[in-house]
Amino acid sequence: MSKKRYNWVVFAVLAVGAVTMIFPFVWMILSSFKTVRDVYTYPPKWLPSEWNFNNYASVFSLIPFGRYYLNSIITSVAQTVIQIALSVFGAYCITFLSFPGKKFLTTLIRSTMFVPMVVTLVPMYLIVSKLHGIDTYAGIILPQVLSAFTLFLVASFFASIPKDLIDSARIDGCGYFTIMGKIVIPNAKSSIATATLFAFLGHWKSYTWPLIITNKDKFRTLPIGMKYLVQESSSEYQVMMAAAVMAILPVLILFVIFEKQLVKSVTLTGMKA
Amino acid sequence: MKKAFLVIMVVLFASAMVFATGAAEAQQEARPDVVNIRIWYSIGGASGQFFEQQVNTFLASHPEIKAELTYTGSYADSNTKIAAARLAGDAPDLIIVSASQIYPGEDGNYEMEELVKDKDFDFGDLQPGIVEYAKYNGRLTSLPFSISTQVFYYNKDLAKKAGLDLEKNPPKTWDQFVEVCQKIQAANPGVWGFDTSDGVWLFKSMLKQNGNQVVEAKGEDITPIFDNAAGVKVGEFWKSLVDKGIMPAQQHDNAEKKFLAGTLAFVAATSNRIAKWPGSTEFEIGAIEMPYFVEPAVFLGGSTATILTQDKWKSDACWQILKYVLATDNQAEYSLVSGYLPIRKSVLQKADVKAYINDSELYRVATDQLSYAWAYTHFGAMGSMDTFFWYALDDIESGKMTPEAALKNASKQLIAEL
Repeated sequence: MSKKRYNWVVFAVLAVGAVTMIFPFVWMILSSFKTVRDVYTYPPKWLPSEWNFNNYASVFSLIPFGRYYLNSIITSVAQTVIQIALSVFGAYCITFLSFPGKKFLTTLIRSTMFVPMVVTLVPMYLIVSKLHGIDTYAGIILPQVLSAFTLFLVASFFASIPKDLIDSARIDGCGYFTIMGKIVIPNAKSSIATATLFAFLGHWKSYTWPLIITNKDKFRTLPIGMKYLVQESSSEYQVMMAAAVMAILPVLILFVIFEKQLVKSVTLTGMKA
Repeated sequence: MKKAFLVIMVVLFASAMVFATGAAEAQQEARPDVVNIRIWYSIGGASGQFFEQQVNTFLASHPEIKAELTYTGSYADSNTKIAAARLAGDAPDLIIVSASQIYPGEDGNYEMEELVKDKDFDFGDLQPGIVEYAKYNGRLTSLPFSISTQVFYYNKDLAKKAGLDLEKNPPKTWDQFVEVCQKIQAANPGVWGFDTSDGVWLFKSMLKQNGNQVVEAKGEDITPIFDNAAGVKVGEFWKSLVDKGIMPAQQHDNAEKKFLAGTLAFVAATSNRIAKWPGSTEFEIGAIEMPYFVEPAVFLGGSTATILTQDKWKSDACWQILKYVLATDNQAEYSLVSGYLPIRKSVLQKADVKAYINDSELYRVATDQLSYAWAYTHFGAMGSMDTFFWYALDDIESGKMTPEAALKNASKQLIAEL
C-alpha cells in the first residue's frame, strides 16, 4: 500500500474514533438547548426545533447551582494544590533521598492503594466528626489530599531525571530544596501537569465523601447538586444537559491549559491519559 | 451537746441531699426555652419545597421550637448519610426516608406506639394497609409519610390506534393485559408493550396477587417464601413477558424514558409521576389499575417518618411537627401537590380532593388502588432482599437461570444474610 493511501486509511480510522468520542458531547450541548418534547421525540432530533436558552436559567432556579459550583472550585483547587505539593515532596524523598526505613515506608504507602475508599469512609467520618469538621471546607478538603497514586505517578517521572544532574548540583553545593526547586521540578513540569490534571479531575467529580460530610447547601459540591437535579427534574433531561455543560467547563479549561504538557508526558512515557 | 450537734448536722446534710436531688431532677424536667431539632428528609423538588413550607408555617406559630431542615437526596444517599451519622453519634432528630423504621426497630425502640395514643392525632384515621408499611417486625416504630404505589400509565394514542378504549374497558387480569399489549404492538410496529422502572417493586405486588406474602414472620424470625410454587409461577410469567416480546429484557432503567418518548405502550411507575408527567409528552397519558393473578394487590412504597432522638423535649417537638403535617387538611394539600397518596381516610372525604379525583384519571386510579394496597413485614435485611431480587429478575430475563433456580438462589442468599 502506498504511503499516501496508508495515510488516508489511518486518517479514516482516527476520524471514526474522534467522531465516536465527540458524539456524546455534541449531543449533550445540542440537548441543552432543546425543549422537553424534543428530548423525548422518536426518532431522535439532532437539532432543537426551537433554541431554548431557558434551560440554563432553570438549572439555577431548581438548585443553588452557583453555590455548589463555587464550593466545587474551592475544594477541588485546594485539594489539588495540597495534594500535588505533598506528592512532589514525597516523590522527591523516595526517589532521591536515602534514609532508614525507606523501603518499608515506600511499601506501606504503596499498600494504601489496595484499600478501597469505602473501608475508610466511616472511620474518617468519625474522626472528622470528633474534630467538628462536619459542614466545613476543611472537613471536605483535608481527608482527601493524600494520594499514593499521585505520589508514585510523580515519582515515576522523577526517576527518569538523570542522576548526574542531581550529583552535579550537589557538588556545586546545592541543598535539597534548591535541587528540588531548580533541577527536579523544572525537568518534571509535564509530569506534574499531568498529575495535576488527574488530581483535579478526581476531586472535581468526588461524590461520596462530600455527600456524607455535608448537610448544608452552603458547603455541598457540584456532583451532589447534579444528583439532586436528577431527582428534581426527573423527566427534564434538557435541564440536566445544561447543568452538565456548565459542569465540565473547568475541566475543559484545565485541559486546554495543560494540553501541551499532557501530550509531552504521554509521548515520553507511552502512558494512557 | 456534741451528740446533738452531730445529729443536727446529719439531718441538715440529709435534707440538703434530698433538696439538691429534687432540684437536679426539677432542672432535668424543665423544658428549655427553645428546643432545637434537625430534620433530614429525602423528598425532592416541588414536594420537598411544599413540605418545608408546611414545617415553616408550623414553626412560625411555635417560637419555642427551631428546626434545621436538610434535604438529603435520594433514599440511598439519605440512608448512607443517616447510617454514618448514627455511627458517629450525630444522628438527626427526625428523618423522613424509605425504610426509616429499621433504625428504631433494630434498637428495640417502639416509642411511636405510645405517641400515636395522643388524642390529638386520630391514629384510627390512617389507612390500615399503609400503617403496616411503617411497622418493623409487626410493631409500629414510624409513621407513613410519602406513600406511593405503582400505577400502570399507558399511551392513549397507541391504544386508540389499536382500537382500544382502556378507560371504559381496562384489562383486569394479567392474561387480559398480555392480550391488550399484543394488540397494541400489532397496531404499532416497533413499540414495546410493557416495562417497569422498578421490577422488584412490581414483582412483590405480583407475588402477593398470587397468594405469596414474600416472607413469613414468626416473631423476630423471618423466612423467605417467595421461592415456593406460587412464587415460581410468577417468575415464569415474568419470563414469558420477555419471551413474547412484550417487555424488553434488562432495560428497566430506560422504561420511563421509552414511555415518554412514545415507544412503550404501558409503564408501571410510581404514582408520584402523576404530579410530573401530564403535559410533558406529545401524547395523552392514561392509567389503569394494576392487573392481577388471583386477587388484586399493590405493594406500597415511599418514605416513613421516624423520630430518632431520645431527648424528651426534642422528641416532643418532632411529634408536634409530625402531628401538624399529618393532619387531614395538610395531608390533603401535600397529596395533591406531590402526587403521593393520602395516608388518611378522611382526606379522601374532603370535597376538593373528591373533585380532583373525579377530574384526574391518573389520581383516581392511584387512590382506587389504596383499597388493596399492602406491605410485608419490614425487617433488617430487606434492603439486601431487594438486591437479591434484582439479580434474580436479571437472571430470569437473560435466561441465565430458570425462574425456579433464580428464586431459590435469591432465597438461599437471603437466608445466609439473615
